[in-house]
Parts: sequence; C-alpha cells; structure tokens
Amino acid sequence: MFKKSPVIKIALTHLLAKKRQTIVAMLGVTFGIAIFIFQAGLMSGFQAYFIDETVNTTANIRIYNEAEKNRKSILAKLYADENKWVVVQNQKPKDELTKIKNGYQIIAALEKDPRVLGVSPFLGSQAIFKVGIAQIAGRVSGVDIIKENVLFDVSKNMRQGDITKLQTIPNGIILGDGLAELLGAKMNDNISITSPLGVTLEMKIVGINHSGLTEVDKSRAYINIRNAQKLLKVDGSYITDINIKLKDFNQAEALAKFYHQKFGFKTVDWKEANASVFSVFKIQNMVTYLIIVSILIVSGFGIFNILMMIIYEKMPDIAILKAIGYKDSDIKKIFLAESLIIGMLGGLLGLVIGFVLQKIVGSIKMDIKGFVSMEYLRFNSSIGFYIFAYFFGLLATTIAGYIPARKAAKMDAIDIIRSK
Amino acid sequence: MGNIIETKILSKSFHDPVEFQALKNINVSIKQGEFASIVGSSGSGKSTLLYVLSTLDTDYTGHIFFDGDDLSLKSKNDLAAIRNEKIGFVFQFHYLLTEFTVLENVCLPALKRAKYSEAEIRERAYQKLELLGLADQALKKANKLSGGQQQRVAIARALINEPKIIFGDEPTGNLDSKNSQNVFEIFKELKEKFNQSIVVVTHDQHFAERTDRIITLSDGEVISQ
Ligand SMILES: Nc1ncnc2c1ncn2[C@@H]1O[C@H](COP(=O)(O)OP(=O)(O)OP(=O)(O)O)[C@@H](O)[C@H]1O
Ligand SMILES: [Mg+2]
Repeated sequence: MFKKSPVIKIALTHLLAKKRQTIVAMLGVTFGIAIFIFQAGLMSGFQAYFIDETVNTTANIRIYNEAEKNRKSILAKLYADENKWVVVQNQKPKDELTKIKNGYQIIAALEKDPRVLGVSPFLGSQAIFKVGIAQIAGRVSGVDIIKENVLFDVSKNMRQGDITKLQTIPNGIILGDGLAELLGAKMNDNISITSPLGVTLEMKIVGINHSGLTEVDKSRAYINIRNAQKLLKVDGSYITDINIKLKDFNQAEALAKFYHQKFGFKTVDWKEANASVFSVFKIQNMVTYLIIVSILIVSGFGIFNILMMIIYEKMPDIAILKAIGYKDSDIKKIFLAESLIIGMLGGLLGLVIGFVLQKIVGSIKMDIKGFVSMEYLRFNSSIGFYIFAYFFGLLATTIAGYIPARKAAKMDAIDIIRSK
Repeated sequence: MGNIIETKILSKSFHDPVEFQALKNINVSIKQGEFASIVGSSGSGKSTLLYVLSTLDTDYTGHIFFDGDDLSLKSKNDLAAIRNEKIGFVFQFHYLLTEFTVLENVCLPALKRAKYSEAEIRERAYQKLELLGLADQALKKANKLSGGQQQRVAIARALINEPKIIFGDEPTGNLDSKNSQNVFEIFKELKEKFNQSIVVVTHDQHFAERTDRIITLSDGEVISQ
C-alpha cells in the first residue's frame, strides 16, 4: 500500500489522476532525450569515421614550400631605408618557388629518422582529363606509388587494377572511382591529360581507386611522379611536397615543428591541415547540444504546467497535510517527486527509443555519397551519451519541478481552509 | 490537572485589506481532559482563535503556552511536529485526500510520525475506525462515503497519533442532528477514556451546552468563559 513515506504514493496518485497531461509531459522528455541520443550518436559516429578516413588520407606531416605572397621586390631590398617609399606595380609571385630544393636528400634523411615510418615525395598539378569527348578538370598526384602506399594504404582502396602497374607501365594512371564514373572510363581505357602549361600526355588506366572521401574520388588521379614532372616541364629532382607517416601520429605536431626548423620549409601536421573540418565538428556538436537543451526547456515548461495545475487542484490536500503535521519540505518533496517521476520515466523511455532508433537507422543501407561515402550510417552508441542525456533530462525536470514545488510548500494552509 | 494550552494577552490583527483587530487580549486556558466549546456570532473571531491556538497561524502578538512550551519560540518545523504528535484537527469540511482509501487517510499522520511500523500503524488505524463504526469502510475510496461518514473518518485521522488535544471548527456544521449527536458522543468518550482535551467551535447551542465549558467570543474578545 504505502511505501516508507507516503510522499511517493501521494505524488503517484496526483499523476495518475492526470494521466493524459502526465503522459504528454513525459513524452516531452522522452522526445528530447531520444533525439539527443540519436543525433549525438550519429554526429559522433560520423565524426569518428571521418577522422579515421582523414587520418588515413592526410599525411601525418607534410613538408612543402609556400609561394611567398608579399615577396619584397628587389628594389625594396636595395632601398631598405624605412624613410623611402618603393612602389612596384603588378608584382607576380615566382612559380618555381614552390619547389623543395634538395627534396630527395631531405627524403633520404627522413627515411633514416627512427620515428618515421614512411616518406613519400609528391608533385601535384591541375589537369584536364579527356576520354573521347568527356572532359573533366581535376588534379593529378605525381607519386612514387610504392612509397605512397606505405603512407596511405592505396592498395587497400583499389577497386580494380593493381598499384604496381603504375611503376611497370610507363604511362599508367589510377583514377578515383568517382572521376572514372564521371568520365565514363573503364580499366585499360586510354585517357589524355593536359596540364595548365599545355603539355598533354596519353595515359592508360591501370587502376580504379576509392578513398572514401567523395570529393577526392571525384577529382584525383595518381600518376608516376616522372610523368607529373613532364606535365609541368620540370626536371627530375623537382617535387613540391614531402609527405611523412610517423610511427606515432600523436607526435605529428611536435615533429612538424622540428622538421620545419631542421629543413627550413613549411610543415603542417594532420590536425592543423584539417582544422577547418574540426571546427565544423565543433559547430555540429554545439548544434546537437542546443537541440537537447531547447527540447528539454520546452518539456520543462510542460512539466511546470502540469504541476501548477495539480497544485491548484490539490490545494485542500496541501492544507490538510500541513494541518496534520507535514512540513513544508515534505510538501516540496511531493511535487519534486512528481517532476522526477515524469523525468525518470520519460527519460528512460527516451533512452530506449534513442537506442532503437539508432539500431533501426543504422541497419538501413544508405550508400551515402556526401562529405564521405559510406554504406551504413555509423552510430557512436557509447554509454557516456546515455548517462549525459539521462542526467541532463533529470536536471531539467528537477528545475522545472522546483518552482511549483516551492510554491506549494509556501502555501498558507489557513488561506486554503478559509477559502473552502 | 495541568493546562494543555494557555494564552497570555493574545491578540491578532489582519492588515489586508484594512487594519482589523480580530482577537483582543485573550487570556484563556484549556485543561488536559477538558471538553470546551467556543461560541459567538459570525465574524466574532472563533475560527481565527482556533487557528492561532492550533499553531497553524503564527502571526499574533502575546503568548501561547502549549503543553508548557511557548509557541512563539518554536520554528515552523517544530510546530509541524507538534501538530503531528499532539494535535488533532477536524474541520467543517472533512478534507480527506479523495483519491486515497479511508484507511490510507487515517494512516497519514502516523506515517509522517513514523513512530510505529507500517503494519502497526494499519492495525491502529483499524482500531480507530472501529471506534467510529467505520471498520467495514476501510478499503473504500474516501470520496465514496457519505458526508457524515467522511466526517467520522476525519475524526479517526485526528485520533491516530493519540493527540493531547483535538480542535474542531464546526465539525458538526454539515451534519444532521443524529450524526451531530453521534460526533458529540465520540468526543465525550475520547475525553473520558483517553483524557484528551477537545476544543470545538460551534454554532449549535444544544451541542455547546453539553460541553464542560463554553467560551463566548464577541468582536474578538472573550466575554465569558
Ligand atoms: N484573512 C483575513 N483577512 C482579513 N480579515 C479576516 C481574515 N480572516 C478573517 N478575517 C476577519 O476576522 C474576523 C473573524 O473571522 P473568523 O473567521 O474568525 O470569524 P468566525 O467567528 O469564525 O465566524 P463564522 O462563525 O462565520 O465562521 C471577521 O471579521 C473576518 O472578516
Ligand atoms: Mg469560522
């Protein structure tokens, strides 16, 4: 019949007398928590997947040479006096400046570094791909495919063909699958690529590659670095980037600084290179938390509402309980218990619904080709989200319940009795 | 025989909507085991006095000694505990928790006090209901009973913690003469059997005349006691 204290029993009785409103208030909490579980799991699952993919496709450290934009003109160097004005109109950046001088010596030095797992030279260029009448602008990555494979596991992502063909067949090219699709190109087809300098090479498709990053797969092709040098009309020592894979990618930031000092070229680590993506993630996460906060505020109003209704209806109960010796704090407990019951049951249901929603949506084949491409949505269903959501839900309901509860506790029994 | 309650120059004013002195320098005392009635015309301050004496209203000047203690020195929580353990209430409107059973209603003060186990409390509640001839109604919802039955449930609830004093504000106001007589007999029995004090506000002259003592109020003053 009664539990230890009649407080819970009274609270339950009040709620049961208002089943419909109680259920509506409860569903508010349920909805907020379910959405949060779903949304947070989706975002964090997606982000984890994306980070995985980028860590696999971004060099731990990239060494490159940046074109000086505000290069001091020779005249300015000559007249270094601060009081003199030197104006040079239409100054152009020199293009050969992006070359890494002694690139291959640096590579050799890096390969001896015990912290380094692999080093890969790189020379990239814009290019127009042409198959028959199909024409698409993209980029070619001139690489040493064996070294590149150590860094990015290219062979794992090969849909067709074999990476070693890039070495054995002098004019071989590996296309991203998206790019191949856009061009309507198949294995062993001929393809011509034209560089911005007007150099055209006739190539043969020896592989189709799928990195998982949609933008990359739609625009990139691998060619041998010597062919890239031909496209850009440069000598055989010309490279623009050196990509490094470390044994421990968490050292990237520190080692990037170290190599910058050692070799004098710009260096960037994978985190910095993807900083914009990480900041997008931050905003995504903020939005997710804003959603739960706003839904819970709304359901908080629902709880507030129903409690105020109950309190006005049950004023005689409050008066009599006070008259027979229930303390103000007991009265407060009754109404706090009511909001907590709503919050706990609604929250629990929300957790279950969120979990089920994740499972259902996660089992639907999506074949998403967006930012990244994946067959199924990946959810992060870590227990932390559930705990956070539940406690946040309880916090919101407690706050929503506290104001009416305090009001009930402060009611004057005599006023109520007199007014009957 | 000691006084269970004693007032010294007790006064009370309402300030809203206008300044109005509802109780004026009241000095009364109720002995343990005394059955007293408070009478007076409407608006004379009977209910006001009862609420002050029963610790529900703390906005007064002067002193009230309850069982030897000066109530003005007690905290709100102390007063709640005094009401719970030493005071029973019966109002004109019965004020039961309508969604609870008769038995649960009677148990409420005892569960708050938590002096006995739940089983014992239920046992005692049955005894009180028995005393009031309601044992067979124990498991009914309170609002399924007649007015007179509900009033007796309220009395049973007032008795559950075996209070030293029972206050009633027109406890028979809504009852016919037969039920009214019944309630009178119950109060008399409580006084005689358990030495409980009873203070009842009433408009029923016949009821008042049969109590030990009549306190008459007029315009907030005690004019005879
Ligand atoms: N909350 C209040 N605010 C202002 N005046 C009040 C308040 N409560 C009571 N009064 C006034 O105090 C006086 C005494 O009221 P009280 O209710 O004690 O009368 P009563 O003797 O119980 O009358 P009745 O027999 O009609 O119940 C009345 O004049 C009433 O108007
Ligand atoms: Mg009155």
